[in-house]
Amino acid sequence: MKTVSQIAYDNLKYHKSKNILTGIAIFLTTFLLFIVPTIGKDIIDAQYEMVNEIYPEWYGSYADIDINTVHSVSAHYDIGTWGLQSDVGVIPVKDVSGEVKFSMIYMDKNGVDLSKQTLAEGRFPEQENEIVISKILLEMLGMEGQIGDTITIPYQLIKDGGYDYKEEGNFVISGFLEQENAATVFISEPFLQEKLSEEDISYQFLFQLGNVEHATTDNVEDTINEIAKQFEISEKNIVINTSYLEANYVDPAFLQIVIVILIIVVFAGIITIYSIYYVSMAQRVQEFGRLKAVGATKRQIRQVVLREGMFVALCAIPLALLFGTLMTRVILLLFVNILEGNGNLSVAITKEIIAEHKIAFFHWWIYLLAIVVTLLTVYLSLLKPMKMAGRVSVIEAMRFQGNTGRNMKSRKGYDEIRIGRLAKNNIFSNRKKSLITILSMSITGVFIMVVATVLSCTSPELITNTDFNGEYAIIPIVQSGDKEHPEWEWTEVQKNNPLNEELEQKILALDGVTRVDMFSMVDVGGGLFEEEDYGEDIIGLPKEYAKELEDGIIEGSATWEDLMSGDKVVIDDTLVRWYPELSVGSKIQVTIHDNDRDYEKELEIIAIGDYRGGLTNYNCMIMAKEAADSLVSYNVNRYAFVFADKEYDEALENALFEIVGEDEMETGLEMRAKQTDYKLNKTMFQLVNSVCYIFLGILSVICIMNLINTMINSVNVRRKEFGMMQAIGMSDGQLQKMLFAEGLFYTLGTLIVSVGAGSLLGYGAFLWAKSEGILGIRTYQYPVTIAIIVVITLVVVQAFLVLMLGKSVKKESLIERIRFHE
Amino acid sequence: MSIILKVEDLVKYYGEGENLVKAVDHTSLQVERGKFTAIVGRSGSGKSTLLHLLGGLDRPDSGRVIIDGKDIFSLKDDKLAKFRREKIGFIFQDFNLIPSLNIWENVVLPLGLDNRRVDKAEVNKIFDKIGLSEKKKAMPNTLSGGQKQRTAIARALVTNPAIILADEPTGNLDSQTEIEVMSLLKSCVSEFGQTLVMITHDETIAQMADVVIVIEDGKVVSRS
Repeated sequence: MKTVSQIAYDNLKYHKSKNILTGIAIFLTTFLLFIVPTIGKDIIDAQYEMVNEIYPEWYGSYADIDINTVHSVSAHYDIGTWGLQSDVGVIPVKDVSGEVKFSMIYMDKNGVDLSKQTLAEGRFPEQENEIVISKILLEMLGMEGQIGDTITIPYQLIKDGGYDYKEEGNFVISGFLEQENAATVFISEPFLQEKLSEEDISYQFLFQLGNVEHATTDNVEDTINEIAKQFEISEKNIVINTSYLEANYVDPAFLQIVIVILIIVVFAGIITIYSIYYVSMAQRVQEFGRLKAVGATKRQIRQVVLREGMFVALCAIPLALLFGTLMTRVILLLFVNILEGNGNLSVAITKEIIAEHKIAFFHWWIYLLAIVVTLLTVYLSLLKPMKMAGRVSVIEAMRFQGNTGRNMKSRKGYDEIRIGRLAKNNIFSNRKKSLITILSMSITGVFIMVVATVLSCTSPELITNTDFNGEYAIIPIVQSGDKEHPEWEWTEVQKNNPLNEELEQKILALDGVTRVDMFSMVDVGGGLFEEEDYGEDIIGLPKEYAKELEDGIIEGSATWEDLMSGDKVVIDDTLVRWYPELSVGSKIQVTIHDNDRDYEKELEIIAIGDYRGGLTNYNCMIMAKEAADSLVSYNVNRYAFVFADKEYDEALENALFEIVGEDEMETGLEMRAKQTDYKLNKTMFQLVNSVCYIFLGILSVICIMNLINTMINSVNVRRKEFGMMQAIGMSDGQLQKMLFAEGLFYTLGTLIVSVGAGSLLGYGAFLWAKSEGILGIRTYQYPVTIAIIVVITLVVVQAFLVLMLGKSVKKESLIERIRFHE
Repeated sequence: MSIILKVEDLVKYYGEGENLVKAVDHTSLQVERGKFTAIVGRSGSGKSTLLHLLGGLDRPDSGRVIIDGKDIFSLKDDKLAKFRREKIGFIFQDFNLIPSLNIWENVVLPLGLDNRRVDKAEVNKIFDKIGLSEKKKAMPNTLSGGQKQRTAIARALVTNPAIILADEPTGNLDSQTEIEVMSLLKSCVSEFGQTLVMITHDETIAQMADVVIVIEDGKVVSRS
């Protein structure tokens, strides 16, 4: 075996240029296998660390439960640490924009810990008259105070599901909240027990689960829902702390993405390394034949090939891991810088975590993964060459005359031979090799084109415009199932909807406002939508959108008059995906929720269309606004889109802010500016774009390695042949021309497959992204720039290679070439 | 009789100092048109280097090679290649056929490189002469050594060169085939009115030549 290793080692040195190429391919494969999971894991770790720093630690909470239920739920096998919170009342405080209500909360010790409530100074209240407040409350009450001082505070207790009459109480300050502007005060348990009757006390049960060490977020959520079911806790009283769970448990979707990327890398690696060995193997027939002639067994020859490959891998892998280790920090910092423009708190904290190295950047298992997967890749790539080498017969090797390609006895051939025909002959004499080369070089190209198509079909503008109409959106705050804010229930909002005619007029009166579009939404359930929680609302469109609605129809037809009837709807094709039984002409029975009154109605589907989120606002049944409004008795205006004469106008934005009110809770309105959404989308887009193109760039380098190898090999293996042709009169120019023609064939072949198949598959990817609503993709945009870059890169690399190879051939004298033997 | 090839004070050294090899050392000679000239010498005498220089496959350190009145080393590489394919036919010891081309294509290749049209009748005549008319479409790897060398002879003849240079053309052949090939070569030369310069270490073969030049240590030592 020692001899076998020695031969493999000698071969390694002898076939230096080929092994350097293989080495680069292995290096890049290893690098990608290392860097993709490392950066992915680090970014997510940093985000999770951020979540852990700012989010509460409870997994879930059950709201509105009494003390008996608390006792029974807490005894459940799956419940780990648990704590309690109870809303006692509110402290009404006057403010410039009206009245602000500070929540008056009781939390037990575990509740405090799980919610990450921290004090700047002092301690949480224990005595009945003790209180923990925020600095801002004192300020707003116009008071001053230190720990131990007694202050008089007005408050309203929560009794019979509402706020009781205002009363005043004297409290001793036991601590100050760390968050100076928190709209919360904490009182003690004795205060809660003293002031509220047992019926009025309702708890929020905050908990973590036990026994879920290796669970996924899905498991945790299932368990939380399961426990709630056992204790008959209504679904709307369950709150799941999704961000915290994602930070601490594995999200199956993330794993899938990483696995898909790694499979692509392994695939590209195998194709490239395999192709390099495959192409060079033919050249080495004599070498293996000689080994056989001197008595090497099939197994020994296979071992020679395997060990040569493994030697290269053993050199390339550590270098790649070292390079990857050095690059990790650089790439992470690059991400941080791209993210920096965003300006939101969580991003700032994520940045700090990365910059200050608060998480471990390197993970031993990723090193192990990269090593094992690369070695496996090399091994798989070597299987076929090993087999080929082992199969070489002594006779075959001795008779071997170079690259004859298919084992032909005769060939029709041409009457006359020209340079172009020589090139063609070289290519077609070994069709399989040429095909493998083209396909292996094309795979990366196809992949680049597919990704580029998806990316070119989207842009921050597009993502924003897909979801947005006009420049600003004013929306009433609607939140279902929030016991703290029953006024946010949609049924409640309708009764006193701030999105009314008066508001519309007020907005229209502002300088720079050109139009206000009101969309209404009718809550629908029952029938088909009994169990599902998706697409069950009717969106009422203003007439301005009639054309867009009509243009988007893919099946059936609808006039505005039809949609004014109130019995007919156009549905978004997303709904058809969930309910395949729906088609044009289907009649669906639904329950219209007209506030407290429910009634049955039959709706006819007259058309199916494909619409952007800004039109449907992610509802699936569409009718005219007037028709939707007439289905119910209250004001169901759900979105107001404000169109301005300028894309961004600070004065107008401020004026709108004034209307919406500084305190959203007070006016019940919130505002979104397109500009803000755009900036956010832009950051995200840049990030996605740069990640994709860096990844594709490295894959392209692997692909180019393949191209270089193919060309070098095709020249190396024919050095003697070129010599012979030159001896009988082929000029350097003719040689260069022949090499160029061959290169052109590979380039064109690769281009046709890459750009052709890439464009077709790219279109498929576009259709998929469109139907899945990924990145707001709606219209197909051919990635012209990338296609041109792919074409130019291939042509330039090819031309450069031909020149370099032509020169390298010329470096050797004709005599050397004619005498050239393996 | 006119002189087709003239060598004047040709020098080609390899290496330096102690390793200096004087492959061709101030050699001068002349070859007459239509004659079969054999250059004989022992292995290492410099005869192959001399032949390569005569064919312009290599450039000398000094001296001139004049073929058909043209100093070939005054030509640039591409011009020299063109000159080679027009004026010189080569026959090598190891045949040097292009493995991916069939026999016909191998033979007509020099015409293609020179952008000349193939006169099929003329080429067929050569094929008849070399006795490979049935093997035109065969690939080189299916031929015997003798057949390969006959193909190489046809290739050298096809352009109707001013001079054919043969480098040990029978070196890789058995003695029976050697005689066949030599007879063929000789009869071709006379039939097509060619000038043949052949290097060999084989005295018997040399005796078939009209003129024999003996080389030792890069120098012409005798001419008969």
